[in-house]
Amino acid sequence: MKTGPAAILLAIGAYFGFVVAVAQFHGVSALALGLPSGAIATLAAGCGVAGAIWFLFANDQADSSAPWQVMAGLGVLCLAFGSYYGLFVAPPEQYMGEVQRIMYVHVPTAWNALLAMTLAFACAVIFLFKPDYKWDSRMEGAIEVGVVLAFLLCCQGAIWAKPTWGVWWDWDPRLTTTAVLLFAFLGILALRRFVEDPARRAIWSSVATIIAYVDVPIVYFSVRWWNSLHQQQSNPGTVSKQFWLPLRLNAFGILFLMVAFIMIRAQLATLRRKQEMAPPLPEVAELGEAV
Amino acid sequence: MSGGVVTGGWNFVIAAYTVTFSVLFIYGVSIVTRLREERSREKEEANPQ
Repeated sequence: MKTGPAAILLAIGAYFGFVVAVAQFHGVSALALGLPSGAIATLAAGCGVAGAIWFLFANDQADSSAPWQVMAGLGVLCLAFGSYYGLFVAPPEQYMGEVQRIMYVHVPTAWNALLAMTLAFACAVIFLFKPDYKWDSRMEGAIEVGVVLAFLLCCQGAIWAKPTWGVWWDWDPRLTTTAVLLFAFLGILALRRFVEDPARRAIWSSVATIIAYVDVPIVYFSVRWWNSLHQQQSNPGTVSKQFWLPLRLNAFGILFLMVAFIMIRAQLATLRRKQEMAPPLPEVAELGEAV
Repeated sequence: MSGGVVTGGWNFVIAAYTVTFSVLFIYGVSIVTRLREERSREKEEANPQ
């Protein structure tokens, strides 16, 4: 796979995500090409995610460190600008005040945690149909990064819950299903540690990933299906334009960091498996006999 | 909280951002270190002295 299409998709995502958002904020609507705000956000997110995943699959098996360094650099840059804008430039929200600034890291973490787990699910399905170990490495990387982001999500959520709900944690449907998701995927990582045979490990963890993934749509729709303390999903129509830029910058920042982490983690998984499958070195005594 | 509006709260904002950057930084450093160790071990095994 070549990196060119990834760069084009990322450029389209950046155009609709940032250039159009900044222009609209300053009252210039011509750059939006007559598209409604929902379509612009979908294009930005869709092209950004597709470009990042294309880049991941094109470079994650390379021996070079340059691809993940590029992604990590872009991620740090976006996250730094987004956090600066979210903390010091964007105005406080009408009801939640300054605390709402947590949204600029909490929401992108949630999106990317679910995306990492979706990636793990896709790799698991592909591995079962086309048993190539590179898909197993990618799945392992995506699961571990998804678990880290889900853990971070729960920490950020608890910090936001205390000043707004008055409690650090509540067994509300959204929070409970997210905790189940975190522990389900943590269990898959534990399973991979216990199974020594690489073939069995790959098959069992693919099946377990597909089963655990059932919880992802439940997490997403939990706020609509049940009465929940957690607010429902927002969209560009319900979020002020002043909040778009920091939210999108951080969303892209965490997306790029997530891709860099999965690339590193997949390379690590491949190296470890190569070592597991390598024939054992001859014992010193055997070498002596041969001589 | 005052009249349904959350007042103050910068300490929570700082805590959330600190946790976010710390977790991402520590995890990033840990996997880069693990990858370097694994690569150097692979090189050592490929060229045993």
